[in-house]
Amino acid sequence: MQAGVVPKGRERLTLWLMLTPTLIGLAFGVLGSILATLALSLTKWDLLTPPRWTGLSNYVALFTDEKFTRALLNTFKFSALYVPSVVVLSLVVAMLLSRKIRGVSIFRTMYFLPAVTSAVAAALVWNMIFGKDTGILNAIIAFFGGKGLCWVCSDHILTAVLIVNVWGAIGEGMIIFLAGLAAIPREYYEAAAIDGASESRKFFRITVPLVTPSIFFLSIITTINAFQAYDYIYMLTRRGQGDSSFPVIVYSIYRNAWNFFNYGGASAQAVELAVLIILLMAFYFWLERRYVFYE
Amino acid sequence: MKKLLFPFLLIAAMLLASCGGQATPAGEPAAGAAPVELTFMMWGAPEELAVWNKIVEEFQTQSPNIKVNVEVSDWTAYWEKLKTMLAAGTPPDLFAMDAPYYLDYQTRGVLKNLQPYLDQNPDLLTGVYPQTLEAYQTAEGYFGLPRDFQTIVLFYNKDMFDKAGVAYPTADWTYDDLRKASKDLTLDTNGDGVTEQYGFTADLWDMELAWSSAIWAYGGDIFSADRTRTLIGEPAARQAWQVFHDMMFQDKSMPDVNTAAQYGLDLYQAGIAAMTPIGHWAVPGYNTVAFKWDVAPMPKGPAGQATSVNSAGFVVAEGSKHPDEAFEFIKFVLSPGGQTRLTELGFAIPVLQSVAESPVFLQQAGYSIDQKVFLDSLAFAHMKPVFKGYDEWAAAVGDGMIPIWTGEAELNPTLDEVVQAADEVLAKNK
Amino acid sequence: MSRQNEKLVLDIVTYGFLALGAVLMVGPFLWMVSTSFKLPADQFGRTLIPPTPTLQNFQALFSVDIGYPGLFFNSTYISLLVTVGQLLTCAMAAFCFAVVKFRGREFLFTLLLVTLMIPAQVTLIPNFIIFKWLHLIGTSVPLWLPAFWGGAFGTFLLRQYFLTVPRELVDASRMDGASLFQIFWRVYMPLAKPALAALAIFTFQGAWNDLLHPLIYLPAVPNTTLTVGLAFFQQQLILGGKYTVLMAGALTSILPLLLVFLVAQKQFIEGIALSGVKR
Repeated sequence: MQAGVVPKGRERLTLWLMLTPTLIGLAFGVLGSILATLALSLTKWDLLTPPRWTGLSNYVALFTDEKFTRALLNTFKFSALYVPSVVVLSLVVAMLLSRKIRGVSIFRTMYFLPAVTSAVAAALVWNMIFGKDTGILNAIIAFFGGKGLCWVCSDHILTAVLIVNVWGAIGEGMIIFLAGLAAIPREYYEAAAIDGASESRKFFRITVPLVTPSIFFLSIITTINAFQAYDYIYMLTRRGQGDSSFPVIVYSIYRNAWNFFNYGGASAQAVELAVLIILLMAFYFWLERRYVFYE
Repeated sequence: MKKLLFPFLLIAAMLLASCGGQATPAGEPAAGAAPVELTFMMWGAPEELAVWNKIVEEFQTQSPNIKVNVEVSDWTAYWEKLKTMLAAGTPPDLFAMDAPYYLDYQTRGVLKNLQPYLDQNPDLLTGVYPQTLEAYQTAEGYFGLPRDFQTIVLFYNKDMFDKAGVAYPTADWTYDDLRKASKDLTLDTNGDGVTEQYGFTADLWDMELAWSSAIWAYGGDIFSADRTRTLIGEPAARQAWQVFHDMMFQDKSMPDVNTAAQYGLDLYQAGIAAMTPIGHWAVPGYNTVAFKWDVAPMPKGPAGQATSVNSAGFVVAEGSKHPDEAFEFIKFVLSPGGQTRLTELGFAIPVLQSVAESPVFLQQAGYSIDQKVFLDSLAFAHMKPVFKGYDEWAAAVGDGMIPIWTGEAELNPTLDEVVQAADEVLAKNK
Repeated sequence: MSRQNEKLVLDIVTYGFLALGAVLMVGPFLWMVSTSFKLPADQFGRTLIPPTPTLQNFQALFSVDIGYPGLFFNSTYISLLVTVGQLLTCAMAAFCFAVVKFRGREFLFTLLLVTLMIPAQVTLIPNFIIFKWLHLIGTSVPLWLPAFWGGAFGTFLLRQYFLTVPRELVDASRMDGASLFQIFWRVYMPLAKPALAALAIFTFQGAWNDLLHPLIYLPAVPNTTLTVGLAFFQQQLILGGKYTVLMAGALTSILPLLLVFLVAQKQFIEGIALSGVKR
C-alpha cells in the first residue's frame, strides 16, 4: 500500500511502546473474541455445565436451521439497502454542511441528534410514529391525501426498519465525512478557482477523489454495523416476549446463546457472520487499491 | 511458537474453569461471629427493591450475623446477568426462579438440593398451597421453593362496561359470554372506520396468559403426560384456538398483533381494551390507571373452568459458600412475617395459606378489587408446565403462531407445523 | 452559468435540502420532547404541542429512588475514562499503522479489523471469564480498562485520516531532525483534530449508551450506570405503554451526549476553516 517512515535505531523502541496498548488489546480481542468464539463453536455449551466437544456439528446444523437462514436473508436484504443509503446520504449532507452558509452549526446539531438518541428511546418514538391508526406518519400521509400503511406488517417492515436505521446512522456518517472533507487542503480549491473552474468541476476533480478514504472507511464500518444491526430492529419488531417479526443474525445469535442454552450454536453463527463480513472486507480492500486516493 | 501455545492454554484453562465452581461441601459449620454476606438476585420493579430491603432488615434483626445484599434487575437483564455469572462459576448465593425454567437449571446441576434442610424443618411447608409446590418436586427432592404465586384472572374495565351497558363478568361466564361481551364492547367511537376500543386483548405468545387456560377449559392439554408430544394441535385444543381466532378476525373484538403493537404491550392498561387475562403482578401497575376496574375468574369452557397457576421461587446456587445461611433467609421469607411483608408489595400472592386468606392479602390498602378471586381460582388452576427446554419450546410455539395473529397465515395448517417444530424441541431436550 | 448564479442555485438547493432533511432528522426527537411533557391520557394524541403541558413525568422519574445522581456520576466518569483511553491509544496505534514501516503491519491491522466483526453478545462470556480471573467483577474496571488497549474502530478511523497527510510534511520534519514520536505529536496530532473530535464523540456516546457491559460487570441499581438504571425503571413502563414517562427518561439521558457533541463540534469548524496544509 503506502511506503512509510522507517524507524531508526532507538525509534524501534518508540514504535513498539506506541503499539503495546493495542497489542495487549489484540491479545484480549484475539483470545476473548476470536479464539474463544471459534473454540466454543466447536462445542455444545449450555452455560451451566462444562462445554462438550462436538466438532463441526454446529456448523452442519446451520444448513438446515430455518430460523437462521431466514435471519441471514433478512440481514442481507437489509444491508444491501442500508449501506449505500447511509454512505450516499451522509456524504450529501456533509457536503452541504461544509459550504459557507449561515446556521451551519445548528443544522449540524440537528443532523446529529438521531445518533445521540439511545436505541431504546428512538425505537419507542418510531413505534409511535409508525402506528397504523395512531401514528403521525400515517396522519401526515392522510393529510396529503394518501392512505396510511401498516408499517410494521411484513410487507413494509423492511422499509420501516431501514428508515429508522438510516435515520440513526446519518449523524455519524456526516461527522466522518466532515472530518474527511476538512482534510482537503484549501489551496487545491483556491488554485482551481484561480484557474476558473466551476463548482461542479471542483467537486468532481478535487473533492470526490480526496474523500475516497472516508468513503472507504464509512463503507466498511457501515457494512459491519449493517450485519450486526440489532438494537433498533429488535425494539421496532418486538412481538410478545422476545420474538421479533424481522429476525436478523444477531437476534438469532442472542436467542441461541441466552435463551436456548445453545452457546456453541450461537458461536458458530457468530463465526459464520464474521466470515461473511471478512469476505466483504476483502472485496472492499480490493476496491481500495484501485479507487482510493490518499493524496 | 510460544505465541500459539499461550492462547491454547488460556482457552483450555477457561474451559476447565467452567467446570469449577461447583460442589462445595454442604453444611459447612457456620461457626464464629463474623457476619456472613449473601447475595440474593431477583427480577422485579424498582418498587420491589425497596420492600425487599425492608424484608432483609427484619430478617437481620432476627439473624444479625447474616447480611443479605438484594439485587434487583428487570426481567431481561436478570437472566442475562444470571447466566453470565453461572457460566463463569460465580453465581449469587440465592436467586429467583420462574417455575417453568426450574428444570432447565435443576437438571444441569447448578441448584442445591434443599431436601436435607426440609427434612430438618418438617413444618416449614405445612400451610403452603400444595399447587405451588408441585413445580419444584423432583425425584431427589426439592431443589427450590416457591416464594409467591400467580393465578390468571380476567381483569375488566368497569367504566367501559358501564358505558356500554354490558353486565360485569361473573364466575359463571363461558367463552361464549366472553365473546359476546367483547363484541358489544368493541366500538368505533367516531365512525372513522378505525376501532378505538376493543373488547378484549391478550398476550397470545406466552401460554400462561390466555391460551393454556382456554385449551384446558375445552378439555385439551398442552403435553402428553410423558412430555414427549405436544398436544396443542388436538381437536379439543383447536376449538380453543378457534375462539381467539374468531374474536380477532371475525368479531374483530381483539386487535391483531400489528395493530396492538402501536399501543405498547398492554392495551388494557392503556385504556384501549375492556378486558384482559393477566396475573396479580399487574395489579400495582394497574392501580395507577384512570378507570375503575375489577377482576373475575377466567371463563368456563365445555370441560369446565380452568386457569393457569405459576410461581416465582427461591433457589440456592450449588456453588454457594453459605447454603445454610441462605436457607435461613428462605425460611424467614416463608414465615408468616416474611409472607406478610411480601404481600404488602402487592405484586404477588403469598404461598402461605394463613396469610393469603387473611385481611393482609384480601383487604390490601389502596385496592378496591376482589382479591379473593385470585385465591378461588386455585381450585380449578392447572400448573404452568415446567420442563427442560422451556424457552426454546415456547419460542417454537410462540414464534410459529405469530403469523396467524398477524393475519398472514391460516390457523389449522400453521398449527400442524408448530406442533411438529415443538415436538422436535422436546426430542432434543430429553 | 455565471459563477454568481451557480453559487446562488447551489445555495438554494442546499438550504432546501438541508431544511427538509432536518425536519426528518429532528422530527422524532421533537416528538419525544413533546410526549414527555404530555399527560398520559394525551400520549397518543397527534398534536405536537401538549394540550396540557405537565412536569409530572419528570417527577415520576425522580420519585422512584433508583439513585439517579449516582447513576449519572458513574456513567459520566466511566464514559470519560473510556474516551480518554481510546483517543490516546488509538492515535498512537493509528500513527504506527499509517506512517511507520514495520514487519507484520498489514497482518496486525487486519487482525484488528477482524475483532470488530464478532458481535458483543458472543464475546461477552469469554471476556467475563477473563475478568473473573483478574477478580475485577463488580468493579467498573472492566468497563474502561479495555479502552486503554486501543480499539479497532478508533484506530481504523484515525489511520484513514493520517494517511491523508502529505508525505512532504514527514520528510520535512525528518530533515529537521524530528524523532518518530515528535513527528507523531507535533505534526500528526494537531492535524487530526477533526478526526479526534469525531472519535471522541463516538466513543463517549458508545460508552454512555452501553447496556450490556455495565449490566454484567457492575452490581445492580443503584451501583450501576444510567442506562442500566433507566432500562430497569422502564421495563414496567414499556409493558404498560406509559410512553410519557419513558420519553422523559430518554430525554434526560440524551442531554449529556448533546453537550459533548456541542463541545466537540467546534473542532470541525476549526478544521474546515483552517486551510489545512501550508506548503
